[in-house]
Amino acid sequence: MLPNRSRLSVLVFLLPPLLLYGVAVLFPILQSLFLSFFSWNGISDMQFVGLANYVRMLTGDDIFWRSFFNALGYLAICLVLQLGGALLVASLLTSMRRGRELIKTLYLLPAVISTVAIAFLFVRIYSLEPVGLLNQLLHWIGLGALERPWLSDINSVLAAVSAPEGWRFTGLYMLIIYAALLSVPQELEEAARLDGASRWQLFTKIRFPHIMPVWITTTIMATTYGLRGFDIPYLMTNGGPGQSSELLTTYMYKTAFTSTDFGYASTIAVFIVVECLVAVGLILFMLKRKADA
Amino acid sequence: MTAPAAPVTRPRATPDPSASPAPVRRRSKPSLHGTLSKVIIALIVIVQVYPLAWLFITSLRTEHDFATGDPFALPKAVTFDNYARAFETGNLGMNILNSFIVTMGANLLIVLLGMMAAYALQVLGFRFSKFVRILFLIGIIVPVQIALVPLFIDYSSINLLDTYPSMIIPLAGFALPMSIYLFSSFFEYIPRETYEAASLDGAGPYRIFGLITLPLSVNTVVTVVLVNSIFIWNDFIFANTFVLSEELKTIPLGLQNYIGAMGKTDWTATFAAVCVTITPLLLVFLVLNKAMIQGLESGATKG
Repeated sequence: MLPNRSRLSVLVFLLPPLLLYGVAVLFPILQSLFLSFFSWNGISDMQFVGLANYVRMLTGDDIFWRSFFNALGYLAICLVLQLGGALLVASLLTSMRRGRELIKTLYLLPAVISTVAIAFLFVRIYSLEPVGLLNQLLHWIGLGALERPWLSDINSVLAAVSAPEGWRFTGLYMLIIYAALLSVPQELEEAARLDGASRWQLFTKIRFPHIMPVWITTTIMATTYGLRGFDIPYLMTNGGPGQSSELLTTYMYKTAFTSTDFGYASTIAVFIVVECLVAVGLILFMLKRKADA
Repeated sequence: MTAPAAPVTRPRATPDPSASPAPVRRRSKPSLHGTLSKVIIALIVIVQVYPLAWLFITSLRTEHDFATGDPFALPKAVTFDNYARAFETGNLGMNILNSFIVTMGANLLIVLLGMMAAYALQVLGFRFSKFVRILFLIGIIVPVQIALVPLFIDYSSINLLDTYPSMIIPLAGFALPMSIYLFSSFFEYIPRETYEAASLDGAGPYRIFGLITLPLSVNTVVTVVLVNSIFIWNDFIFANTFVLSEELKTIPLGLQNYIGAMGKTDWTATFAAVCVTITPLLLVFLVLNKAMIQGLESGATKG
């Protein structure tokens, strides 16, 4: 603590940020919670309905469940691409001698581009007529049978809208993991190598355990970002065809701003927050148990 | 992304592996593993970067070439007509200006308020600081979607819908926790003695903030601004929800104008517009990416 600070000076520095944060983040969270117990279309009087919105969501809404499972699929694909891709590239990068800065920059490039641009780009990549990059590539490598309009085929659309999000942020996570890998003590690796450890053993027994704290942070980041994914699916398919690429976030958005059912939309929003908190809790719990074992 | 931009001069905790002398064997004979790594990395980088190169190449194609040709082929003729059409179709200039205003406004709030909060939490200290930290942590975990409906309702009741602040306030609010975290971690490195010496000379908390903390934080400011600018410049969800009028549309919304009725889209012009709109940020990123990468990395190593 600063020697001659005053109570007033603490307030002078703390109140403005708290005010903005309260207005933009904290108060809306409470308001959502409040609204979730009401039925309201924004025009007529608000009507208190108790837990009815929650009951409707959990027991009577097929689209909600459909969106929930789609969101889990979306999350899984994002996590595999982001964390798996990041770990693979980061590990390979540590054994390279030249060009690492260049690769880091190139790899991070997609993270700089707006989701609208990415959505446009991938709509073209997936397109069948005129033939897009993906279908042309499949044709060339002899997998022409797989060619299809990726975004209008209900079997492929969820994967197709998930991949761009994964593609976009691998670079960010790769950077973080790469930096962590650099901090693994060289003596430790050297000693293990002298004892005859294979590359795989070196990775599983020394490197990975060493970067565990960073891995947890990255997993939590990627999970919470995956659960709030919205822009790309919304822009590419708007949840369609049917509900085959509807996520909880896009469903909430449509409920609020297309059907103007503010109360029910808030209920779904509250669920998304709970889902994020549960996910973070689960990750910490599982990793803690693993560390204890 | 968890952490402070370390001052550029601070030495790395561990030596760069490439700097340490490698075993002679590996240098003279490239191993199979080494070659394989390079091939895999090259392939992955192509997957990451080729779509962007393709975007640019397509923006130079003629419409006919685009509609009929092989998507991987180089354009038969290079044309800049698409760019001309891109500027005719939308309000590109206005969109860029709006994005600029929103990004500047939000960054100003984020840097100033983030620094103030971190100063109060980390340097001044007070009884409930732990509780306040937890409050701010909430903002990192909860998704922005929670704020859409309440803010929409609040804004419409105080006539704030369809204004710059309607975008700036939530963007700054949700970015604040991470910035406070970055600044707090950096402030830890400023030695206590500096403050104590200044205090003995009679400087109060305000002068210490202005004369010591602020000038020392330049590196952290760069990291905070760069990371946040990427998210703010590209924000779609707040702009899409709170802004309706054409004159206030930012780049992400402006791009949507290129999608024509019935899904018929002028793709080559759209791609030209995309190229124009991503250029400013891309340039800043390429110039400053060392600072940003270093900030992210030094944060990560501390977990």
